[in-house]
Amino acid sequence: MSRNAVMLGGGQCKWGVREAHLVDLFQEAAKACLDDIPGLKPTDIDGLIVATSYAGRCSFQVNTAPVIAERLGLKPTSICTRCDTLCAGGSTGIILAKGLVESGNADMVMVTGGEKLYTPQKWEVFYSELASVDHDWDGVHGMGLPPPFFALTAQEHFMHYGSKKEDLAAVSVANYNYAADNPTAQMQKKITLEEAMAAPTVVPPLTLYDCCPITDGAAACIITTDEIAKRFSNRPFVYLRGTAQACLNSVSANFPGAHLADWKHTRIAAEKAYGRAKVSPGDIKVAQTHDCFTISEVIEVEELGFCKKGEGGQFCGSKQIEIGGKVPVNTDGGLLAVGHPFGATGIRQGIEIMKQLQGRARHQVKDADIGLTHNLSGANAEHTIVIYGKTPVK
Amino acid sequence: MSVTGIPILDNLYPATMDMWPIEAKEFNRSWPFYENLKQGRFTTTKCKDCGNVSYPPRVICPACYSENLEFIDLPKTGKVVVFSEEVKGVPLGFESPLIHAVVDLGVDPVRRLLTRIVNCQAGQLKRGDEVQLAVFDIPAMPVEKGRAGTIMAERVFFAFEPVKK
Repeated sequence: MSRNAVMLGGGQCKWGVREAHLVDLFQEAAKACLDDIPGLKPTDIDGLIVATSYAGRCSFQVNTAPVIAERLGLKPTSICTRCDTLCAGGSTGIILAKGLVESGNADMVMVTGGEKLYTPQKWEVFYSELASVDHDWDGVHGMGLPPPFFALTAQEHFMHYGSKKEDLAAVSVANYNYAADNPTAQMQKKITLEEAMAAPTVVPPLTLYDCCPITDGAAACIITTDEIAKRFSNRPFVYLRGTAQACLNSVSANFPGAHLADWKHTRIAAEKAYGRAKVSPGDIKVAQTHDCFTISEVIEVEELGFCKKGEGGQFCGSKQIEIGGKVPVNTDGGLLAVGHPFGATGIRQGIEIMKQLQGRARHQVKDADIGLTHNLSGANAEHTIVIYGKTPVK
Repeated sequence: MSVTGIPILDNLYPATMDMWPIEAKEFNRSWPFYENLKQGRFTTTKCKDCGNVSYPPRVICPACYSENLEFIDLPKTGKVVVFSEEVKGVPLGFESPLIHAVVDLGVDPVRRLLTRIVNCQAGQLKRGDEVQLAVFDIPAMPVEKGRAGTIMAERVFFAFEPVKK
């Protein structure tokens, strides 16, 4: 009998500028995760995947998985490892866990991710960000902190497709408003289009609300099979229907599209994930896309097929990403407002899709049965997609 | 208030906190790129077996995995396709304005080289402007050489700058 991977439950700690150590954040997230699955004990878990990228740099800790396993009271016997794909670390862990449980190499895997980025002097994390892109060829040009790269991306989208600053501001408004009542979010305030348009400049055309913050935080979820999940939960199953991860370049000079607003690698990943999930873009009822910047969400809704290429600005500007729109996007607030502790983000997104498909999301999309998460990592160097559904792929 | 460094690291050089590449040939087989840069040349590797030119330089050909590579010269002038200017909040290690541009050097694989533009004031650059290679010194890196003691490895890096009209 085939084994089908599901997300059984999950949770995250409060994200923001946290007065806590990296291992504290992982413990808080694991507690939130087990609180979501009454009856599940640490001893039921036989695998652990830890997604973190900056533990080595900011917490002077490599080989993170045993450290976290011990702090969480876990004694994994199937897998105990770390994965580092920066912004996609959490989603990568979910993809790996799916393979492990469906192949029978693990039964119940905790996928957790987190970062403690702020150190006692703030310059250090900004400086260390030179490592987030290809260090020797892009980082050294001052491309470590991403606003300049995405400012160029926005300019090329404006040039080629006629999108406008107002379209970017519409994404800020939607995502901030989704997060306003999310107690785990870094930013918990509603903003207006006028406030978004009048915000201080970061790198033109990007202003304050166009950019996600730097965030301390962690999240954790449990990936297991539907048969095992039955013993722990009466909620609807949330299956991991299809996944993909595409990487065509690292150095920005080798960007695969015709220009920075043409995301060929997103399209390749999407086509593969849709094919494996046996769904099409029109089936997606809710999505969590990688809104590290507003322009990212504008391009993602195009490349994921929610609208035509070039019409992402109009799609977002006409509220199609809000509840009642064509595809509500980043319904918990996204990276822009919940924050972005790199390794934790994909897990946060997966948890929100799980809650949407189980009918228990804070901003519920009616009759959501298929959902999608998407990440990009580095200087737009890799794209990672997970498609969830209430039924397994037949 | 002045902040002291980490006492046990006094007089020691943490290369892991140095923002520039470790270019010395003892640590980097692409060292000829940096040596060529010191001569004002912008170079990369070409495969002598299959002809593939890749940027940045490699020690194997990414197309055929041959190790039979040679350094070739790339153009040193190009045109600005698109650029961004960061004036406030420029990260440590860089001066305001921090200008980035996609530069078309006219040949593959550097039709869309993303680089920093230096010697340029904010508000001066335009799309289509011609820019040229600008090589500059960066701090030397101390490298332990056994009994020979520690040598200072001289280093340069590059950006592009507007061509003066």
